[in-house]
Amino acid sequence: MFSAETRTRDLQSLEVDVEEALNPTEADGTFRDSRECAVLLLLGGALLLSPPTPRPKKS
Amino acid sequence: MKQLSGAVHDLASELVSALRGGDHSVAGTTASVGGDEALTVAAVRTLGADVLLPSTLLRRPAPEPDLAHFREAVRAYPPGPQSSPTVAWSHWAMERALHRATAGAGEAVPRHHGHPDGAEGRGAPEADAAGPDVSALREAGWQALTHQLSVLAALAVPHADSGVAAEAARRPVDVSRGFVRAVRRRDWLQAAGAGRWLAVIGGVPSSLGLDAGLRFVLGMGGADPRVALHVHAATLMRADGLATPDEPDAEAVTERAPADPGATA
Repeated sequence: MFSAETRTRDLQSLEVDVEEALNPTEADGTFRDSRECAVLLLLGGALLLSPPTPRPKKS
Repeated sequence: MKQLSGAVHDLASELVSALRGGDHSVAGTTASVGGDEALTVAAVRTLGADVLLPSTLLRRPAPEPDLAHFREAVRAYPPGPQSSPTVAWSHWAMERALHRATAGAGEAVPRHHGHPDGAEGRGAPEADAAGPDVSALREAGWQALTHQLSVLAALAVPHADSGVAAEAARRPVDVSRGFVRAVRRRDWLQAAGAGRWLAVIGGVPSSLGLDAGLRFVLGMGGADPRVALHVHAATLMRADGLATPDEPDAEAVTERAPADPGATA
């Protein structure tokens, strides 16, 4: 009896899964704007390569 | 869901192998999912008419065990009154594929339209030739159209005569634009599905570079057997000359529609 109940539940869950698989919502896409990426890359590079700010010497 | 997606992947891998000239059997997939028949039937229903794609494209008869699983999937998962159009269309395509595969054998095809009591009819009925309602697809924007078509890529077969195929054929530039958008979003499954539709409909702008695009999609997303399945199907149809030739004079396709600026998301 228990196994029959489990099996019915499994089949119902499969039905829901199939329905979901056949009617998926659109996946979230990764959209990369090349110009935006280039600006960020240049900015990051400039910050990394810039010399340290001058500090007053200890007297 | 995880179990089902695993079984779908296994089955799709088998189909890719068959399209590439190897062997294929749904029964082999059953063994790989621990002999779970119900899970295999659910996987067959999820992949839909594509389960019989090797016999359609390679023009060879489908193995009887595959047909048995297919028949059971058609019978066990009919679309309900609340089902989405994609579920209804996918089931319709399975009925048609089963009818084609068993044509001449005079075999009964499980039906659901007009037979709520589960009665079986002989072959695909004439009344069902038009298929379910297609108005949602007709009114969809190019992004939604591409998404829906990609979900229904199993209907993109040579000489497709469905309402979905008619809608796709009516808007080749929109589907091309959707293909480019899917590639840019790195949504390889949608790109592969859209690419497969582009392989069967006419009027695709040659500036799209569909062959190179399909190779790129396979290279980037081919680890997913469902992506590989669509790309191999598209490549086979183009190589066999089953597809309609591209449009040579069409203008360059960009993802952004002139009348619909900024609608990329």
